[in-house]
Amino acid sequence: MSGGGPPRKRNFKIEAFKHRVELDPKYAERTWKVLEHAIHEIYNHNASGLSFEELYRSAYNMVLHKYGEKLYNGLESTMTWRLKEISKSIEAAQGGLFLEELNAKWMDHNKALQMIRDILMYMDRTYVPTSHRTPVHELGLNLWRDHIIHYPMIHGRLLDTLLDLIHRERMGEVINRGLMRSITKMLMDLGPAVYQDDFEKPFLEVSASFYSGESQEFIECCDCGNYLKKAERRLNEEMERVSHYLDAGSEAKITSVVEKEMIANHMHRLVDMENSGLVNMLIDDKYEDLGRMYTLFRRVSDGLSTIRDMMTSYLRETGKHLVTDPERLKDPVDFVQCLLNEKDKHDKIINVAFGNDKTFQNALNSSFEFFINLNNRSPEFISLYVDDKLRKGLKGATEEDVEGILDKVMMLFRYLQEKDVFEKYYKQHLAKRLLSGKTVSDDAERSMIVKLKTECGYQFTSKLEGMFTDMKTSQDTMQDFYAKKSEELGDGPTLDVHILTTGSWPTQPSPPCSLPPEILTVCEKFRGYYLGTHSGRRLTWQTNMGTADIKATFGKSQKHELNVSTYQMCVLMLFNSSDGLTYKDIEQATEIPSTDLKRCLQSLACVKGKNVLRKEPMSKDISEDDTFFFNDKFTSKLVKVKIGTVVAAKESEPEKQETRQRVEEDRKPQIEAAIVRIMKSRRVLDHNSIVSEVTKQLQARFLPNPVIIKKRIESLIEREFLERDKADRKLYRYLA
Amino acid sequence: MMGKGGEAAASAQHKEENEEEGDMVGVVKLISAEGFEFVIDKKAAMVSNTLRNMLTSPGGFAETREGEVRFPEISTAILEKICQYFYWSLHYASGKETAEFPIEPEITLELMMAANYLDT
Repeated sequence: MSGGGPPRKRNFKIEAFKHRVELDPKYAERTWKVLEHAIHEIYNHNASGLSFEELYRSAYNMVLHKYGEKLYNGLESTMTWRLKEISKSIEAAQGGLFLEELNAKWMDHNKALQMIRDILMYMDRTYVPTSHRTPVHELGLNLWRDHIIHYPMIHGRLLDTLLDLIHRERMGEVINRGLMRSITKMLMDLGPAVYQDDFEKPFLEVSASFYSGESQEFIECCDCGNYLKKAERRLNEEMERVSHYLDAGSEAKITSVVEKEMIANHMHRLVDMENSGLVNMLIDDKYEDLGRMYTLFRRVSDGLSTIRDMMTSYLRETGKHLVTDPERLKDPVDFVQCLLNEKDKHDKIINVAFGNDKTFQNALNSSFEFFINLNNRSPEFISLYVDDKLRKGLKGATEEDVEGILDKVMMLFRYLQEKDVFEKYYKQHLAKRLLSGKTVSDDAERSMIVKLKTECGYQFTSKLEGMFTDMKTSQDTMQDFYAKKSEELGDGPTLDVHILTTGSWPTQPSPPCSLPPEILTVCEKFRGYYLGTHSGRRLTWQTNMGTADIKATFGKSQKHELNVSTYQMCVLMLFNSSDGLTYKDIEQATEIPSTDLKRCLQSLACVKGKNVLRKEPMSKDISEDDTFFFNDKFTSKLVKVKIGTVVAAKESEPEKQETRQRVEEDRKPQIEAAIVRIMKSRRVLDHNSIVSEVTKQLQARFLPNPVIIKKRIESLIEREFLERDKADRKLYRYLA
Repeated sequence: MMGKGGEAAASAQHKEENEEEGDMVGVVKLISAEGFEFVIDKKAAMVSNTLRNMLTSPGGFAETREGEVRFPEISTAILEKICQYFYWSLHYASGKETAEFPIEPEITLELMMAANYLDT
């Protein structure tokens, strides 16, 4: 009704003029009969003979003459009667025809209902709202629900039929999905409540028991991988079922039933399954199965955490085994390589199967952090691994390969809690590499330093960088030295000095041995030159770190060039003047510390193929009563013979202790500095807060022990940097 | 409500029978109490909800089949006005331009009753 049309309000006025239609008392009855007949005809598919206008006008007039109620009640009872008839015919339908019949009748009813609503439109429009009755269409649906769907002989049978069909489909039979679709749509049309109460709820219950049974059966006879495959298939089937013939709202419900029955209820058993559970999948790199487990378990609450926990405990277990396996500890390079392989393997699993899930990555990282720090030699080994790579391992590798390996090492480094220990070892190993000129690639060395710098800051690497600078200036100094003094030196031995800044290098103060006179003169000349150009400096010789190339002639005038350490050179030079010397003689002449001397004699006399000395009596070890002779019969295919000192690449137990001690010593000032920094800004703080703040500040380098922090605090109190609060003994004050 | 001067776009014409089916296409014949026949576009007839239902009801009533509707209670004059209104409504209802729809005072009452009946 718009613009020009008369407003509906005036209807009431019009009624006053209704007298022109005759008010026959039988009029209502007669008109109703016409309509009732029409309704029957509509149900009988005979509507073509009816005039819509006539029926509409009849209904219109009845409502207009206040027979609306009669019309409505008449409609209700007529429809009810028709539906009861229909219910009988549906009930009579046998077996498979039942649903067909129900569906056909439903279609009929729907069509008839629409026609009836159309002819009774006027009643729907005026009588129904004013007297608060149910609109015709809804009335039709309600009657259908009450007299067909809830009819005892149909109700149960309908549900059973539907559930049976679904069960048969689950067992692999093909069913009429179109029919199912129509029936469930009918239930939905009757209202979501009808669908839910009369179908969905029992459907879910039956599904739950079905899947509970099936999952029980599967889990008894399948391995984990197969079970998951089956569960995934079932889940997809149910989703497909919903999309084909159930209401979309059921999807979440039925999938949650499947998830609960097939996954959540068996989660732990699946993960723990022997020979095929999570651990085996991880071991065998079963990316597909793991991926399936991930996507399925993600659907249920706690699913992923179950996988994660299991993975974490597995990683910790194997990791712990790995880092404490004494066999592994024999070869540090292999040890680190193992760790890297392990990390690569699980990275790939997380990437491929677990969708790069951040929480899994975190779990992996924390596991590594956990077990790497279980072994306090990890920092040393990681440094040794880098040492090995930078000495020889990287030969022929491209720049990217080098970067790749170093990046991986850095990853392990990040897990370390005692980064300062790593620094200590790294310094030692770097020093050895630099001094012996063994480093493969300067670029790789620098790249590693840059990485450490970005990871831990300038402080961490400043000394390492100082070492590189020293190497460079030494080279320049040596060039200058030879340019200026070459005529003075004559034919004497060539000297190559590395001038190392004290503090930057991991030098152990060791008493210099007495050098052979030939060498000593050159050294003195250099000392003169150096102190002449740089006044105010002190030069000490680190004879324990040098190397020497010496030429030796053996029995059959065989000439060899021997590459030995400074100590070994000193020992060998003694044999220029005598053929046989006792241990005591050597010790006296060279003043080499006894442990070093033993080691150096061992490598000269006891290593096969490199035994330029002969020992009496013959044995593997050096004892203080041994006598040594120049070995005339020494032969070697090589002109250049490298005589390594028997130094364990790995530190021996006392050395380890020593390093640890030094690390602890180094930590003290760092802890104190941190305490002072904190107290300076806070002025007053309680003990526990200090400990936690200090731990936080130093975390990047090491994990300080609370007991040690306490000792440092006490020491600071003694030195009057801090004082205890007079009232509260737990509080400390900063004294400026 | 009352007005004059606006032109109604009525094009009600007599006779001619057209047995065309379809939702919005084709024509429909409206027959007044006196037997006058108005053939109008279905589109226009659909302005009335009653006619719309009548013409689209699934059952295949006589009207749908024959394409004609008899109104024994609506006089020719009123039916003509109604048809004019259908076209007027079709033309102006949605658009921004408006024009008055002229209704003569003497037919107002009957027209309103018919409008109520036709749910227009």
